[in-house]
Amino acid sequence: MKTPAFYLLLLITLGLLAWGTYQAIAVAPAEATMGDAQRIFYYHVPAATAASILFGVNFLASIWYLLKRSQQADALAVSAAEVGVVFFGVVLISGPIWARYAWGTFWVWDARLTTSLILWLLYVSYLVLRSSSEAGSTSVLAASLAIFAALDMPIVYMSNRWFRTNHPQPMIGTPNLNPEMQKVLLWNMLAFVLFSMLIAWFRYDLERTSQKINALHVKKASQGSMALTALAPAMLLLADDKLLREKAIQHHYMVAGYTAVWTIYIGYLLFLFAKLQRLKREGQEVGL
Amino acid sequence: MKLSVIQLTVANVRKDLRLEWRSRDVLNSMLFFALLVVVIFSFTFEPTAEESRRLAGGLIWTAFLFSTTMALNQSWARELRNGVLDAYRVAPAPAEALFFGKCLGNFLLVLLLECLMAPLFVLFYNLRSVGPYWQLIVVFLLGTWALVVNGTFFAAMSIRTRNRELMLPLLLLPISIPAVNHMVSATTKVLTGESSPVSDIKFLTAYCVIYTTVSFLLFETVLNAE
Repeated sequence: MKTPAFYLLLLITLGLLAWGTYQAIAVAPAEATMGDAQRIFYYHVPAATAASILFGVNFLASIWYLLKRSQQADALAVSAAEVGVVFFGVVLISGPIWARYAWGTFWVWDARLTTSLILWLLYVSYLVLRSSSEAGSTSVLAASLAIFAALDMPIVYMSNRWFRTNHPQPMIGTPNLNPEMQKVLLWNMLAFVLFSMLIAWFRYDLERTSQKINALHVKKASQGSMALTALAPAMLLLADDKLLREKAIQHHYMVAGYTAVWTIYIGYLLFLFAKLQRLKREGQEVGL
Repeated sequence: MKLSVIQLTVANVRKDLRLEWRSRDVLNSMLFFALLVVVIFSFTFEPTAEESRRLAGGLIWTAFLFSTTMALNQSWARELRNGVLDAYRVAPAPAEALFFGKCLGNFLLVLLLECLMAPLFVLFYNLRSVGPYWQLIVVFLLGTWALVVNGTFFAAMSIRTRNRELMLPLLLLPISIPAVNHMVSATTKVLTGESSPVSDIKFLTAYCVIYTTVSFLLFETVLNAE
């Protein structure tokens, strides 16, 4: 983590996040009917992209672990899955906030939403398994489950029962997306993908340290848990049923969406820092 | 004496069924549990005949899904006593035979449960199939296999964790959602006779083939995980 490359990536990412958010709030044109509420889109889609990449990494790393039993692959798999769950959590929180404005309801059981929720549940179950299996067998069991989870995805998508969908179709590169908005979206995508990689890198280092401590210190050093509970306040903001389609309210939605998203990201980062402190202490105790 | 995989599988199935026949812990608790689910559902919903045809698919499979989970947990928990599982791991017999034997044993047990519960569903919910009933048999065979093959695999995984029995539903349910969805939709289609369940049956077949293959490939790894 103390490599110059990490800090360089950190600087670039922070710059891009600020730039992307500025673009999303101030530069991108207001959408004709949804106004500011539509700006949640610039956070929602990039988080989904980042999470998909991370779940892919988790699958490949799990196969690699089963073939080679490499500790690095295992650390990569758990980091990718955990950060992926957080980013997907962002997708599942920011989506409903937007939907409450656009569709008038937080949730509908439509194709896109249902498959996304199942995907998220699968990786949460992966993390639950990791946190409760006995020290020695965790990695093998988790890697097997990761393969099951990754195979379930095409099956879930094939599943045609929920063929009706309200969810907007992918728009990048199609005339449906205003070129100005597309530019802003692509900036944000770059920013959030880098952000996810940065966090995954950080998480990976923590996992490696934890593995080293475990090797010295047979007791399990830590357990993964999710930092997704801080969302209730953002949801309460929107509990009002009689909503008028006014500019101010569109703006409230945007603020609520952005607040919820950053609550998750920052909450997760704080969780990781707390973990870092704990690992440092444990490392000192065992003389690492 | 060298036994073939098939002989070993048959030996495993016979052993499991004999154990079950002598103790009947699993079958009795599964049956009673499924009965309770049926009764509670009919209290809470009080459906008319028309409504119950629409609801029944979901109710039947929910009841079977949960009682199957109970059976699956027991099927491996039994092997933990007296270190039987460790004996399997050091035995020269292929792990596939053990897995296939367990799957078949559980499959037969769950099928038996379904046969015993079916009349109760018909009775309590006043069911009558509008579509061709033989399609239900195909749906139930495929659906049960889909639950049992994944369930047996994940039960073997979850007994390796600290909270054993609690773990199985947490692992099995997310993976099974697409299959359950199609079992329910196929059953409802046959019961209401509104459309053909063929696409669901195709889906279930694909699901069974994929997960049977993956489970077989990964079972030995999970059994020997240290």
